[in-house]
Amino acid sequence: MSPASSRTPFATFRDQYAELMRSAFLVDLQYRASIAIWLIWGVTEPIISLGIWWSIAAGGAVDGYTREDFARYFFGVALVNQATLSWDAWNIDRWIREGEMNHRLTRPIAPIHEAIADNVAYKTPTATIILTMWIIASLFWPAVRIPFEPGRWSLAIIAIVLAAAIRFLNGYATGLLAFWTTRATALVELQFGLSLFLSGRIAPLSLLPPRVAHVAEYLWFPYVLSFPVEILTGAVTTSEQYLRGFAGQAIWLAIWLALYLVVWTRGRRHYGAVGG
Amino acid sequence: MPSAIVATELSKTYDVKVRDPGIKGALAALARPRYRQVRAVDNVSFSIERGDAVAFLGPNGAGKTTTLKMLTGLLFPTAGKAQVAGYDPWSGGNPFRQRIAFVLGNKQQLLWDLPPEETFRLNRAIYGVSLADYTTRRAELVELLLLGDLIDKPVRQLSLGERMKCELAAALLHQPEVLFLDEPTLGLDLEAQQTIRTFLGEYRRRHGATILLTSHYMADVTALASRVLIINRGRLLYDGELSELVARIAPIKRIELVLSETVSRARLEEYGTVAHYAPPRATLEVPRETATAASTRLLTDLDVADLSIQDPPIEEVIRIAFGETEQDAEEDTVRTDVQRAPP
Repeated sequence: MSPASSRTPFATFRDQYAELMRSAFLVDLQYRASIAIWLIWGVTEPIISLGIWWSIAAGGAVDGYTREDFARYFFGVALVNQATLSWDAWNIDRWIREGEMNHRLTRPIAPIHEAIADNVAYKTPTATIILTMWIIASLFWPAVRIPFEPGRWSLAIIAIVLAAAIRFLNGYATGLLAFWTTRATALVELQFGLSLFLSGRIAPLSLLPPRVAHVAEYLWFPYVLSFPVEILTGAVTTSEQYLRGFAGQAIWLAIWLALYLVVWTRGRRHYGAVGG
Repeated sequence: MPSAIVATELSKTYDVKVRDPGIKGALAALARPRYRQVRAVDNVSFSIERGDAVAFLGPNGAGKTTTLKMLTGLLFPTAGKAQVAGYDPWSGGNPFRQRIAFVLGNKQQLLWDLPPEETFRLNRAIYGVSLADYTTRRAELVELLLLGDLIDKPVRQLSLGERMKCELAAALLHQPEVLFLDEPTLGLDLEAQQTIRTFLGEYRRRHGATILLTSHYMADVTALASRVLIINRGRLLYDGELSELVARIAPIKRIELVLSETVSRARLEEYGTVAHYAPPRATLEVPRETATAASTRLLTDLDVADLSIQDPPIEEVIRIAFGETEQDAEEDTVRTDVQRAPP
């Protein structure tokens, strides 16, 4: 009667991920219309920002940024943002508040794996759509073309994956605060507001007032959007810039991973103490 | 062989924030939060042998679900110990979770937008069930639960009863040794209730699974369990055979009436004990064996708009069995109020 399986733990884990991603993808297909709207919403913000900078740069380059530089930058923002965005705080908050966490806690797999699978299943196809749109746009609009340099693209992919991991752990750990408070998602919204400026969503960081840019350097925001985008657009060139960027990503990944572990362990205990 | 479930002096105390109504109360609670300690489960001990089915009875808020949540490892007890399927539920980790299933009647684990089949596939992978075992078990569950083509329809299109049957199938694919069911038939139509009862009985016989279920329905209990645990206000009041319990309480049925004419309370007393009288509605209690005859007489003699015969609700059984009054309950819920600094 023992449910123990003869398979290796790795094979079981791989099987679990495959099925979690499969069902997440099938659920996403059911919501394809909503996803299309979110995608449009996701690219609207960079398009608006681009429109503004495009007209500002009409008279010439702004701090070295030409109109074409802005176009490439905001196409990059649209792609990287889609690949790294995190809605997990809202999900976790709902799981906890509405008792949906209970069955997840009685299964032999930590709930975070479901969230990771969910992210991969959603972002892979949607980011591919944005990348395809970018490629199509570049056929007609030379300004947004990016030279094909495999080395740079590979580093950009690594930076995007790390950025997605940081944003995911940030959102997931913040969502877990719902074990204690009903205001967890408000904290995420606050971060979302800050990230407008500090991650480079509405302007390249080099155009921010020096003080703001200085503050941003000490937070994770530049590493989750600006850094991967600037690898793509070619703004990151020197090995020192690469080193600083990847080191920043590694440090913030470690910090958010540690915070997640702390919040998860304590939250689980707290939930166990007060119930849901 | 060790018991499947052993609970030893389990207790669970919650701190509940109390506040007076209105804006003033809300502001006062912000400034000086007050907490009341509520003892949801109070020193509960019992053990259940492997393969047994036991029903956990009690009114709302009695502590049934809290006890189940402790035994499944979701909640940590304030005091006491437990062993389930040979594991400590709070430190047993995944090997423990592999051996249990917890089905909550009012919460679902089925993927809402997809057919139940997809949840089955997912659970197969999550619990590491081999494909061969999965195929056999799935076929058995489909047959016993009469799932038929339900498993190909999106969950959101299923009725409550159909959903619960699929929930059970999803929860049993890993063939748990111990099955915890919290109100599995809540809100279901009679046919679905019946299917689930028959299924659970058959499943237990075939696989020797241990079942601990909570329910509001006496019928669930009589069909499934010979032993009952009665819990009220966190305390275990009775642990024993169901037959003894029935003998202990007055074996009655309740006749619920809606009258089209005005009938005095005294007149209704001729047919049975009037438990509730609020014209045009009235509730009579009659001995179980004379319930049908009394109903026939009521329908012949009086102008009755509606009549139904029911088992006494569990609250009533507990009240009758233990002679407790509403007042006792009132006194008991007033617990020590403690003033504490904001956390």
